[in-house]
Amino acid sequence: MTKKISISLLVAATLFASSCDKKLNLQDPQAIDASTALSTDDRVKKVLIGNYAALGSAALYGGDVLWMSELLASDGELTWVGTFPDPRQIWGKNMLVNNSNAFATYAAAYRVIYNSNNILANLSVVKTADQPKVEGEAKFLRAMAYFELVKFFGEKPYVAGSTTTLKGVPIITTPGPSAPQSTEYNLPRASVEAVYQQVIQDLTDAESKLPNTNGVYANKPSAQLALARVYLQQAKYTEARDAANRCITAALANGFSLVSSYGAAFNNAANTREDLFAMQYNLVSGTNSCFTYFSTGTYGARDGDIEVTDKHMNKYAAGDTRKDLFFFDAGAYRVGKWRDNYRNVKVFRLAEAYLTRAECNARLNQNAATVAADVKLIRDRAGLPEIAAPTLAQILNERELELAFEGQGIWDAKRLKLSVDGRSWDDPKLTFPMPLRERNINGGLDQNPGYN
Amino acid sequence: MMKKLSLFLMVLFVSVSHLAFSQKTVSGKVSDATNGKPLEGVTVSVKGTSVGTSTNADGSFSFVIPEKAATLVFSSVGFREKEVAVSANLSMIQLTPSSGDLGEVVVVGYGTTLKKELTGTVARVKGADVANMPVPNLNQALQGRAAGVFVESENGKVGEGIKVRIRGSGSVNSSNQPLYVVDGIPLSGGFAGASTADINFNDIESFEILKDAAAAAIYGSRAANGVVIITTKRGKAGKTKFNLGAQFGENTPTNKRGFLNAQEYIDYFRQAGRGAAEYHMRPDGGDNWFGFNDLAEAYTYMDNVVIGRLNRYSGWSPFRGGKDWRTGEVNTNWEDLAFQKGNTNQLELSAAGGNDKTRFYMAGNINNQDGILVANKFQRMSARLNLDHQVNNWLKIGMNTSLTKTTRNQVPLDNAFSTPMQAVALAPITPVRDSLGMLFDRPVATYYNPLIEVEETIRKSSAYRNQGSIFADVKLAQNLTFHTDLGLDMVQQTSENWWGPRTLVGAATAEQKGEADSRWFRNTRWMTNNYFSYKTTFGEKHKLDATAGFAFENVEISDVYADGQDFPDIALKTLASTATPSDIDGTRSENNLRSYFGRANYVYDGKYLLGLSVRNDADSRFGTNYKAGTFWSASLAWIMSDEKFMQGITWLSYLKPRASYGTSGNNSGLGFYQARTQYGAQTYGTASGLGVSNFGNDDLRWETTKMLNIGLEFGVFNNRLTGEFEWYDKRTEDMLLNVPVTSVSGTTSVYGNVGGMSNKGIELTLNSVNVASRNLRWTTSLNLAKNKNTLTKLDGEQKEILPNDARFANALIVGKPIGVFYAPKFLGANPENGDPMFRKADGTTTREYDEAEKTIIGDPNPDWIAGLTNTVSWKGLELSVLFQGVFGNQVQDGAGGFMSASADWFDNQTRDQLNAWQKKGDVTMVPQARLNWFGDFASPSISSRYVYDADYVRLKNITLGYNIPQKTMAKIGLTSARVYVSGVNLLTFTKYPGWDPEVNTDYRSGNVNQGSDFYAAPQIKSWVFGLNLGF
Repeated sequence: MTKKISISLLVAATLFASSCDKKLNLQDPQAIDASTALSTDDRVKKVLIGNYAALGSAALYGGDVLWMSELLASDGELTWVGTFPDPRQIWGKNMLVNNSNAFATYAAAYRVIYNSNNILANLSVVKTADQPKVEGEAKFLRAMAYFELVKFFGEKPYVAGSTTTLKGVPIITTPGPSAPQSTEYNLPRASVEAVYQQVIQDLTDAESKLPNTNGVYANKPSAQLALARVYLQQAKYTEARDAANRCITAALANGFSLVSSYGAAFNNAANTREDLFAMQYNLVSGTNSCFTYFSTGTYGARDGDIEVTDKHMNKYAAGDTRKDLFFFDAGAYRVGKWRDNYRNVKVFRLAEAYLTRAECNARLNQNAATVAADVKLIRDRAGLPEIAAPTLAQILNERELELAFEGQGIWDAKRLKLSVDGRSWDDPKLTFPMPLRERNINGGLDQNPGYN
Repeated sequence: MMKKLSLFLMVLFVSVSHLAFSQKTVSGKVSDATNGKPLEGVTVSVKGTSVGTSTNADGSFSFVIPEKAATLVFSSVGFREKEVAVSANLSMIQLTPSSGDLGEVVVVGYGTTLKKELTGTVARVKGADVANMPVPNLNQALQGRAAGVFVESENGKVGEGIKVRIRGSGSVNSSNQPLYVVDGIPLSGGFAGASTADINFNDIESFEILKDAAAAAIYGSRAANGVVIITTKRGKAGKTKFNLGAQFGENTPTNKRGFLNAQEYIDYFRQAGRGAAEYHMRPDGGDNWFGFNDLAEAYTYMDNVVIGRLNRYSGWSPFRGGKDWRTGEVNTNWEDLAFQKGNTNQLELSAAGGNDKTRFYMAGNINNQDGILVANKFQRMSARLNLDHQVNNWLKIGMNTSLTKTTRNQVPLDNAFSTPMQAVALAPITPVRDSLGMLFDRPVATYYNPLIEVEETIRKSSAYRNQGSIFADVKLAQNLTFHTDLGLDMVQQTSENWWGPRTLVGAATAEQKGEADSRWFRNTRWMTNNYFSYKTTFGEKHKLDATAGFAFENVEISDVYADGQDFPDIALKTLASTATPSDIDGTRSENNLRSYFGRANYVYDGKYLLGLSVRNDADSRFGTNYKAGTFWSASLAWIMSDEKFMQGITWLSYLKPRASYGTSGNNSGLGFYQARTQYGAQTYGTASGLGVSNFGNDDLRWETTKMLNIGLEFGVFNNRLTGEFEWYDKRTEDMLLNVPVTSVSGTTSVYGNVGGMSNKGIELTLNSVNVASRNLRWTTSLNLAKNKNTLTKLDGEQKEILPNDARFANALIVGKPIGVFYAPKFLGANPENGDPMFRKADGTTTREYDEAEKTIIGDPNPDWIAGLTNTVSWKGLELSVLFQGVFGNQVQDGAGGFMSASADWFDNQTRDQLNAWQKKGDVTMVPQARLNWFGDFASPSISSRYVYDADYVRLKNITLGYNIPQKTMAKIGLTSARVYVSGVNLLTFTKYPGWDPEVNTDYRSGNVNQGSDFYAAPQIKSWVFGLNLGF
């Protein structure tokens, strides 16, 4: 009797215990397992949306790459007066290898690349009709991340030459092992040339696959303007001009145009018709870091960490309405483009395409009428008189003032081989150090000249 | 695994055959020696055999024993084991209650054992020893009562966080608190307050604290920090006994540290204004960048600055009701205003009894404790019913159930301007209220006046806990029982907060009028334990006690939060009235744990003991490469004093060396889903998207602790003096840390099992019966423990993680204890000029904090902890006195830079600042009083200036009780009556200059961040008068 009970108890216990074993694989109700996160059309598209948030993180186009470029390019026109030591190092061109902003940008860029690589590897589950668009967007995002990486961390600017031997950054274009600690990720730095080729290839694909308009997401004109930026860095003026030209053509055909006043182009909660591509910020998604540092306590930011000096203010001709956008607060001039909180961060404004096309045409001595018309368009809006035959210097001056403090500062300075705060355009200190912690992990990652 | 276990059990069933021999029947009766009442459930067995039975409700027993059996052994939980010759008169066997002696039965994981046969290290605290202590949390009642168990309340907020460390800290990222198991069910946590405060500890029969691997390993992946087994009271057959308990008393702070009074404040800050002027004019100081003509002009300027502030802080304006500070009319003691006179009371009614079939224990309790801080309050209402029913001779079923509601009126964390203790920063010249009766706020008050919170906030959290189980014990054979249970622990917590329009939170913007939030949290654990117990003796000398079984446990946590701003009226305080819903969150998570466990204890010849235990835990949170962990222990003990060669040593009554080694785990550092790489919601603009929310690690698993324990139990002078000595070496491996990985992988770090920690120590427990005469009994119990903690490994590359904080200096440094203070050494005021002096690496001094050398200047981990209890009973009177002490640790006062800062700013200062340097040649530890008005020097940061020795000895508990003679009570129908007075924390001996050396400020308390003071309330000093009536 008791033996039977014992045995049946044992059997019951064994059955129950083994059924419990099946319950050891639990799914987080707040999350989708990585193994299935890219398993359907919907999910891949949602991950793609998430990758825009990654690109828009503070360390990238959420502001940092813009103000970091401007602080590097300050040349006495900007002063960092804030308490944070890391931006101060950037402004002073005296960065330490453990600079936290540099590392944050490095890490954020590879997160975007990681996301794009995963999306592209799972493109086959996307509806056939939508595949080109998804592919185009993923490649656009990846290209932007590599472009910022190679500009900030590449050993020297592209125009320094020797691009096949100068070190860029590690390239990864497919999903790696699922374990982040895998040593397979400890890649060496690819050459500057290789990284540029990767960027151009992605952007070229993006241009061909992206739709002309795409809501707030990447579209054909933004990919074209991105290409123009890349070619400008390479001083390939024909290619840059053509890309800018394609951008303008596509943009105008699809409802984009300059907004009527310069001031109206900034502090927008929604994209304007001039915005080819902007990072979306609102009350829920939070504050962009250009606002944090450029604006003042009056508008809910910090105490005004970045001041604009007279050297910059004096660059504007009388009547230039672009000067009116600056505001005086907390004892100094401030960049009005970043005055208000919860506003979009402009990445590609159509105005840039006109300036790029004009510059390239001027350099190539082609299409003089277009050059004049392009510059007139910009100057008209700024309230300035027309220049009948703009010189290259005049076009570059126009570009500097039109795009001031929008993140192009150091990249234009480098490609134009201008000196910055007494340093030559190819001074090692105008390049970021490879982050110390990356080199601690990956011994094969060489440091940039000028840093230890 | 399961297959092996089944096989093992089958072998046990089949292989043990009963030897045939001639038999006889014995019968008798067992009663309680103290009151003559029959004792039910006493185990009666033939010594050296497995033959046994247990007594019925009337204490009687009858069973068949072998013809040649000579001795019967009587044992029962809470009573001394007794051996009686079979030939003796068995009709009047009396058992005496045990008092920590060797015949005691102790509760261990999934069973009980005789203290004498224990091979592991278990500290037992009887519920009766701590019952009615006027503290809200059982851990506070346990403080000082068991060797190696360190208990520290974070501060004097009632019913809040308590740090418990059994044999030191074993982890950086996982919990270092022990596992609490209440009647077989692990206690679930909530989001507010300590879960252990949900337990009415008057319901507790005993606490068993499992310290070494031999005792704890059977709890597997959760046992590395030790286990506290809590066993609640059960009914006994017989007349129903009612017990009515009532107590009331008062809570006050252990200490007020004292601040400058109005006149001192005025004088000191005028002096500090001049100090600022002097420093500013020094070429090596501010170098007069302000451009004064001479020192006299600087003096005048600063005099006016200070006078301006004094005017402002005194609210001196005819229409606001302020007073001229020159008249000395206002002398506000803001420290006093942070406190309230707290009342404490408790009312309890219990009933226990039953018959031979059914027994019950039921109790209801209401405990109210006003905190010592204004608006702080704790209330617990609890009810319990424990039922046992003997269905027949092979089946016993039962149920435990408890319902608790714990309500806390909380005060903000110590670092909030709104917390009552921060009122001490306000100036003593500031009147409390203006002419309209309104509390003064900024700008008259130096900072936000926290008393506004008392009038205009609600911070209420409630925990509803339902814990209980149903169980069955099946007697399958003479030696074999099967236990099965189904348990539930459900804690539902809510918090409802409201901030009025005058509060800091409720007035964040000009338009906002009040704010409210609400949180609903539920943590449900259901579980089942199922195990076979087999007890046998074979041959003459072999005794085996084996247990094997399995458990399954499911935890589900739901959490919903909502917040709203802008309310139309101060009377409307719930979210329904919000104009701007501002935040919302809702999550759910789940965890499963499947366990197999087993234990075997083998005794040879009554002297040689071997213990083995094993547990296999498969937890849904572990990475796929480590789905289950196996933990084990092996232990040996030798009752040497029973050896023939020891019999000649008459003074030595008992000697038992033992040793154990084994492993246990800690799974608490892992989130339920942390091992997985997964995607969560990632909103872009207003569009929903997905993004990686966690980078997992398939190798993630428990932290493993390996512990070697050598113990010696002894008794001398006929066991008048007994004791235990323990030495242990406890090493944590696979400690969870964030391991940096290259960003190229998509993330920057991933959690991994890479670090290590070590704890080594000794423990000594001594119990002595000093006097045992007919009327007078005096016993002493001492416990003493030393622990040395060392961080042995971080991620393998990093050697240290240093602090980056102006107020606190806790660091992680390989080779040093966890959380040591790493900061500059402060050498006092420079006698030349009153500047602070810090030590530089080259041995010289500097006034510049940043130039100073940072070194280890303190350790928050105590070296020694001790407890000493003396109990004297004389006739009906009983006096019990517990002293508790902590030695060798330091505390850093993070608020020192504000309130002991040579008047760096206008915060009121501690009285020691009056010793500031004043003239050349003054030798003092307090630099010149110097307002930082010009910003030309660095305000004080954490240094040894604010690190103090925090050793203390405390009169933890004193209780004087009187049992009114039964004869008297019987006349009014009572069976017993006891009156008592009891006090907690009545005296504290310490050199710590702050409020209380037992402190770890709540807002930053953690494994590394220990030993920090920051406006933390002193501990609660209580005394109560109480009455217990039995009928």
